[in-house]
Amino acid sequence: MALVSLRSCGRLGFHLGLRAYATRPVGTPRKREQQDDTPVFQYVGQHRKLQGKVFVWGFSYTGALGIPSFVVPDSGRKKPRKYQLTPYRLDTEQKISSAACGYGFTLLASNSRDLTKLWGMGLNKDSQLGFQRTQHDRHKSYDYVLEASPVSLPLVNPQETRALQVSCGRAHSLVLTDSEGVFSMGNNAYGQCGRKIVEDEVFRFSHSICPAPLVLGSVYACGWGADGQTGLGYHNKASCPVPVGGDLAGVKVQQVATYGDCSLAVSTDGHVFGWGNSEYLQLASVTEATQISSPWLLALRGVGRVRQAACGGTQVAVLNEEGEVFVWGFGILGKGPKLSESAIPERFNPTVKVSSIRCGLNHFAAITDRGELFVWAKNVRGCLGIGKHDDQYFPWRVTVPGHVTDVACGVDHMVALVRSII
Amino acid sequence: MTSQAVRLFRKMDGLFAVYKPQGVHWKHVRDSIESNLLKALNSCPPPAPQLAVQFQLLSGGENSSSKDVVLSPSMVPTLADHPLVTGPQFHKVHVGVGHRLDAFSSGVLVLGVGKGNGVLEHLCKSHVTRDYTLEGEFGKATDNFTHTGRVIEKTTYDHVTLDKLERVLAMIQGANQKALIMYSQVDLHTQEAYELAVRGLLYPHGKSPPILTGLRCIHFNPPHFTLEVQCVNETQKYLRKLIHEVGLELRTSAVCSGVRRTRDGPFKVENALTRQHWTAGSIIQAIAHFSKATRKIRKSGMYKQTAGQLNSSAQVQEQTRSQTEQINQEHVELSSSTSDTVVDRETPVTLSEGRTKH
Repeated sequence: MALVSLRSCGRLGFHLGLRAYATRPVGTPRKREQQDDTPVFQYVGQHRKLQGKVFVWGFSYTGALGIPSFVVPDSGRKKPRKYQLTPYRLDTEQKISSAACGYGFTLLASNSRDLTKLWGMGLNKDSQLGFQRTQHDRHKSYDYVLEASPVSLPLVNPQETRALQVSCGRAHSLVLTDSEGVFSMGNNAYGQCGRKIVEDEVFRFSHSICPAPLVLGSVYACGWGADGQTGLGYHNKASCPVPVGGDLAGVKVQQVATYGDCSLAVSTDGHVFGWGNSEYLQLASVTEATQISSPWLLALRGVGRVRQAACGGTQVAVLNEEGEVFVWGFGILGKGPKLSESAIPERFNPTVKVSSIRCGLNHFAAITDRGELFVWAKNVRGCLGIGKHDDQYFPWRVTVPGHVTDVACGVDHMVALVRSII
Repeated sequence: MTSQAVRLFRKMDGLFAVYKPQGVHWKHVRDSIESNLLKALNSCPPPAPQLAVQFQLLSGGENSSSKDVVLSPSMVPTLADHPLVTGPQFHKVHVGVGHRLDAFSSGVLVLGVGKGNGVLEHLCKSHVTRDYTLEGEFGKATDNFTHTGRVIEKTTYDHVTLDKLERVLAMIQGANQKALIMYSQVDLHTQEAYELAVRGLLYPHGKSPPILTGLRCIHFNPPHFTLEVQCVNETQKYLRKLIHEVGLELRTSAVCSGVRRTRDGPFKVENALTRQHWTAGSIIQAIAHFSKATRKIRKSGMYKQTAGQLNSSAQVQEQTRSQTEQINQEHVELSSSTSDTVVDRETPVTLSEGRTKH
């Protein structure tokens, strides 16, 4: 159909031109010859693979979301976006297999053999994202990284080693590789990076990324121990990774979780061990003391075999083999505004099967086996991603266009790894 | 003594369901029902004519001598109420329509006669759910989302499989589950709201956009597929647009080739009257069949009018929800093996939030 040229006709002429258009009344079918002329578009082939995408949301001023236009808008008219309240797609060059959120920064890792395996964005004042060399000065590093920038690891075999998992703390990060052990970077004031504590060390512009020796199945701890969270039996700092004893001695551990000052470990036979801070009744099932400096086996009634545990600042959650979630501790636990603290595990509605559970500092995230993400508890600067600033007293679905495979929770932002539906 | 027509008229009070065929405006259906009822009423045998005493000049007879004209009384029918004089007795029967169906759609159309029109209003306000069967066809997109519209684009659809369709439907259901709670007008920061949410009793009783409470695919034979939908506050154009959006999510395009309403609240398609049965006798039978449901609707409507006196909105929610459930009690919630929405009532998601940026 020919286009009407608007510029040549005047306003009246335009209307006349439209009326002179050969229009067919709606409802009458077209003739066969005209129907076959329309081109057929193919948007997706038969063998299209499912794509992996990354979605971010939360507080963006530190650059932790990795979208520079939120902090420094493209045009002068736009205002910087402080809170991203709903999931926003982050474009990545490679497929991201692991993500971790710290306090104001994010690390993304890809499982590939390429030279660039790790990207970091956000706060970098303690070099928790490594040394991000500035354009103008070779010896200075960026304090705030607004876009996902490659983090270079001092690997012996950079074209063979893969980065399996990343983990972030308040001001430090750890990277697990498949053949070269664990690398740590960032703040080491309490020895949390596993290297010797240097008095008054300046972490800004630091280049130190060091590997640490470890053994499979056992738990190593280093860092601040004032609440007993190292589990090493004493309350001093530990600057070198030391194997944790107590009830965990000789036990094969499949997963460790820690956030605030409390830590949990899940053994391969489904038992949960806990140590550290218990001021918020996290370990009240075994003791009334507020700090436990060595791991104790937690006898949780009615929980069954535990598959995964997650620790928040004041609350704790475990997931058992049947897909049921149990929470206890202090804060918004997710069973209404009345339940604000509990020493015994409280079970959620068992009709929904959960496949993975994560905790941020003040909130929870659960992924069901159908790939839906539910979040609840305190909404710190929009970290829940539900479109509003209100706290959420029971699990609420986050709308993400795809199946969520993994989620990383930070203090005020979250990252979700999503697989597309088609 | 009431006449047969009046007795028939008094039976015409209540609600019944009619099967509206496709291509017909709902007004024509209503008009033909009304004219059928009037025909039946006006064809009833008229009552026996009233007799009045009239003094007539009649020939004498036996008493007096013949050929004497005497004034004698006789009972003569008055012509004042003769139907040929007065015209048909009934000019109008109040027939009202419940939730309308546009010309492209077919299915259950609830009509109310006489006193049933008041109950129709309560039915409309009660936010009952409605069941639809939507026929879709992959491969083209048209301007009015139907297969008779002007084709805008044609696409391939050989990559579409049943499990991809089910995944897309599950995602749409997830968004609608959230909307159910979002529009329930209950303060979500209260303990009562949490209790209701856990039991799945939060429901939009006020104004809300169209929300699908159930969605599943019942037939898949590319390019044709059939969806069964349960929804509240919808329009048929919204449902055709839903088919179009399902096509878009699957990276192809789809048009709707049929919308059929199979249930409107407690009125199901098995009890709806087809064209041959649009006669007064069948209608009165249908009214009698639905009298129980009509009573329930009337009761719930009167409850809502007094509901403003209650204190907590959550209490109102619970009780109006139970009323709506009683009205809907005969229908079974949709749930299929891969996309069950009913179970997960704790966890709602919003429709408007679904616009994430890419």
